[in-house]
Amino acid sequence: MARYVMVVDLEKCTGCQTCVVACKMWNGLGPGIQRVTVVEKEEGEYPNVRRAYIPKRCMNCKDPQCTKVCPTGATKRDDEKSVVTVDKDKCMGCRYCMMACPYNARTFYKHEQWYHEEPSAWEKKRYKEHTEGVVDKCDFCISRIDSGLKKALTPGVDPDATPMCVLSCIADALHFGDIDDPESNVSKIIEARGGFRLLPEMETDPSIYYLPKRTGNEADKS
Amino acid sequence: MKKLPTYCDQCYNGPDLFRAVVEDGVVHSLEPNETCEDISPAKGKICVKAYGLIQKLYSPHRIKAPLLRTNPRKGRDEDPGWKEISWDEALTLLADKIGKARGLDDAGFPKMAVIMGQAASPTAYSGTLPALLSAIGNIDYTLGAGEGIKCYHSEHLFCEYWHRCFIGAADTPRAKLVISFGHNTNASGGVAGVRRHAHARESGYKRIQVEPHLSASATTSDQWIPIKVKTDAPLMYALIHILTREMDRNKSCDLPFIKRRTSSPYLVGPRGWFIRDKKTKDPLVWDSAANMPRTHSSLDLKDAALEGEYVVSGIEVGADGEEWEHEEVSCKPSFQLMLDFMEEYTPEWAAEICDVSVETIRNLAAEIVEHAHVGETIELCGETLPYRPVAIILGKTVNNGPGGYQVSWARTIIAMLIGALEVPGATIGADQRMNRPHHDRWSSVWPGKDGFMKNFLNPTDKASWPASAQSRTRFEQLLPLVLNTGWSPFLGPTTLGWLTMNSEWSGLPRTTAPDVTLLYRANPALSMYFPEVMEEKLASLPFFACIGYTIDESNYFADLILPDHTDLEGLQLFRIGPSIHSECFWSSYGFAIRQAAVDPVVNSIDLTDFSTQMAERLGILEEYNAAINAGIVSGVRLKNEYVDNELDPATLHSKEEIWDRLCKSSTAALSEGSDEHGLDWFKEHGFYAVNYPEIRHFLHPVMVRWGLRYEIPYQENIRRVGEQLGRRLKENGMEWWDEQLEEYAAFPKCEDFSEMWNMECEMAGADPDDFQFWLINTRSMQYAWGSNAGMPLMAEAAKHVPGFKGALINKTVAQEMGLEEGDIMSIESSHAEVEARAVLREGVRPDTVVFTGQFGHWITPFAKDLGVPNMNTLIGPNKKMLDAGGSLSDVVKVRIQKA
Repeated sequence: MARYVMVVDLEKCTGCQTCVVACKMWNGLGPGIQRVTVVEKEEGEYPNVRRAYIPKRCMNCKDPQCTKVCPTGATKRDDEKSVVTVDKDKCMGCRYCMMACPYNARTFYKHEQWYHEEPSAWEKKRYKEHTEGVVDKCDFCISRIDSGLKKALTPGVDPDATPMCVLSCIADALHFGDIDDPESNVSKIIEARGGFRLLPEMETDPSIYYLPKRTGNEADKS
Repeated sequence: MKKLPTYCDQCYNGPDLFRAVVEDGVVHSLEPNETCEDISPAKGKICVKAYGLIQKLYSPHRIKAPLLRTNPRKGRDEDPGWKEISWDEALTLLADKIGKARGLDDAGFPKMAVIMGQAASPTAYSGTLPALLSAIGNIDYTLGAGEGIKCYHSEHLFCEYWHRCFIGAADTPRAKLVISFGHNTNASGGVAGVRRHAHARESGYKRIQVEPHLSASATTSDQWIPIKVKTDAPLMYALIHILTREMDRNKSCDLPFIKRRTSSPYLVGPRGWFIRDKKTKDPLVWDSAANMPRTHSSLDLKDAALEGEYVVSGIEVGADGEEWEHEEVSCKPSFQLMLDFMEEYTPEWAAEICDVSVETIRNLAAEIVEHAHVGETIELCGETLPYRPVAIILGKTVNNGPGGYQVSWARTIIAMLIGALEVPGATIGADQRMNRPHHDRWSSVWPGKDGFMKNFLNPTDKASWPASAQSRTRFEQLLPLVLNTGWSPFLGPTTLGWLTMNSEWSGLPRTTAPDVTLLYRANPALSMYFPEVMEEKLASLPFFACIGYTIDESNYFADLILPDHTDLEGLQLFRIGPSIHSECFWSSYGFAIRQAAVDPVVNSIDLTDFSTQMAERLGILEEYNAAINAGIVSGVRLKNEYVDNELDPATLHSKEEIWDRLCKSSTAALSEGSDEHGLDWFKEHGFYAVNYPEIRHFLHPVMVRWGLRYEIPYQENIRRVGEQLGRRLKENGMEWWDEQLEEYAAFPKCEDFSEMWNMECEMAGADPDDFQFWLINTRSMQYAWGSNAGMPLMAEAAKHVPGFKGALINKTVAQEMGLEEGDIMSIESSHAEVEARAVLREGVRPDTVVFTGQFGHWITPFAKDLGVPNMNTLIGPNKKMLDAGGSLSDVVKVRIQKA
């Protein structure tokens, strides 16, 4: 049993979108489908302006709302790893889960169109891995975690057992590991720097911790 | 699943090493290569652009076979009538054209020109093309698109002269304060830049970003100072004023460094030249301890005076060797002259120009002193070095065009004042491009005259100045500081080369168009200023061949297009490390392989095969093989003191054989004979590298060992070079470079350079008050270099980057103008008009509008439908806006209204 969580360091993220595209390539995702999005938020008035880049993805909650509304049991929580998954053979595409998710982190997987007029060799190969008309979302690259664990690798430490977004992040803004292990990287980071989770009032116990941004932009106030 | 190590060098920060994951003959995905974590500043990671290489590989818009133009008329509205031809036909045609275009034309210019762009990254993809070009000989490389006008140009020229600093960098991991004047590290610093600064933030360094809009880098800075466009120099001059005239110099300055490592003590005579010993002609300093003059290198010198006025005898040596002998004449140290010179540049003066408060400027100066740690040392590689953790970095547009010399000088002077130059934590050069060797900074430093490092400027004295040029930019004649080595032709003044082509300029013989022009990885019709002029010039080229990927705005004017392999199809060995651009400091150096992940997807060619076949067709196979043997491709001779892998010159070799031999000789040379790994080894392991001592990234130890001084602050030689150049140009009736000649001053005078753009409006017959906004350009990582505008995947990645939705404009100002988010704006300069959607932001100065990236495509598939304008179209050809290095700035004044 492990409780895998992701730590997102807002101080380090530069909004480069590398994780977005690395995820798309690894998971073979079609046009417009992003399991990770990195949005920019601007606050304040000129010249006292502050911006942040905020990576968003499925929170893989410990007490998720999506599982409760799924009529077929396709969306379920893997208690071994604390990851929420979608069984694409069972999903009927009703999208109740999309309505229920307070983080708006799910996507209806549908890509009749290709990136260009015709499917490329990559698209022909990779889109077969997906089922159209079902719901898609980030599952912390559970296939990488599973195959890594079989090789006795440690998720979040060994590359072959680590989610692609974490592996690809060029700013080292993303961390992954078992929060139930007090010696894990994520436990130590959270202990040292705190971290907050989104929408705590929803009581979903999300598995993504955000480290606050330190740098502001103290503009010329005088 | 196979995982094949390879590299990406789409931008100037590479190569970054990664692995292509291949399954069933298709590239499945790409992943980082953690095996290079210990040596690479990118730690084996790649940026968003590299992940797009899969889509680049499989794009249906690729040119699928050689294309021959059938319509001789060229223009945007002319259908080229492309006809697919075989490689045999294409190479035979090109060989026939090149065969007739060897040597010089009647005007003395090479009959053949080669255009390469993308900040020289094409060399990471061009295979053995350099050997082919070398074998052909007499090629004009000066019409390139990527450098020469839009680069960090003044910094390249001046800072490499002063401290082998092609691009100024922060020693980020050790810096406590980084002040960035417009350097957009998060967009253009590559993986290494993003990563190093992210970790520095975590460690608590302070970054202050000075720029007119809140860029991706200002977003992660501690402070944003929204300065008015192109007024960076006045602010920096004010900082020097405060550090030297308002503060106690014993506390604000590193006086021992200034005395010993710079020319600050050198006495300057009444005519403005160093006063020199009559016999040795060595510059004199005043020894305060002995109360007498001594030569700068005298072993008896105890305490060189920085301030005051002294009576000495000696000679001054001016331009063209003119000498004046003085007896008992009053002289001041260069430092004292600088104090005098800086008197007028007060913070109050700067505040009015820069629209930055006096308090902010004074605070900035105080931050510099507070973080400088003057007197402290640090241990590095067993040596004790000064530790000065303050760095100043400069962005493009800040350090090119008008004011570029001033900011380059002022940045270096601030570093000098606190001793934060080429030491840990400080401003350092990332590499040197004009001076050799490129791969080791220490080895590029040699003792020269007057106690300075030796520089190899293009001659301006009467006997040596070339009366005719062999390049169309005339860099050998016009740009003394650009030198005349391998990189020099790429460093401008590119604009001038195109503007003068086929037109009459006083004192110049007609600049002819090359008979044959070959273009690789460049799109000058889009990336150069005034595209309409560029299109006319490209259309007039007698024979224009392009190595191309998709149809684009430049190869649309080609006679022949040759598709080459993409990054994931080609084969090449390329150098890695030890340092490049602004953040890439490796702990090792060596070579990495770029290998084919899959078979070619279209009927394209590997550039090594192309080069070999062309050499054979041209009958220059022996010269071509000899060039490879001599090391022109990788910098390593195939026969060296450890191994002999030379190619038989008379034989046509496969690319695998060529690279196998290069792999073996390179590893043997690096390992001093203990290893000799071939191509198969590289395909499995990806790279081979040996240790590069970290201390060699800093010039300070080698300056100490040679006993050298940095040639700052007083630019006696720059003034001499400029005066000589002016005389030569006048003697030859070339009077159109007079404004540029004014830059060659011993102390560069500072002014409000933003006024230059008002002058530009007036010259175009327009009222500058009608053009209330400064339009500038910013980078974003998704599109910084790499030619990715035609990729839908990159557009999808950029959809959360607001700048790509249109032009950024201050929210309050826009609303006052009745503009709402997404409204179409008419953006009009005194030269042209474009349209863009309004993107309302708080993080933009009220007088500034910002374009992101470089678009404006009209034929490149997919990109042509993005509807994002190109600021180049708004800039008219105006020679007066060129700086002395021939560069312009991405700035233009515009007026805006709702369309």
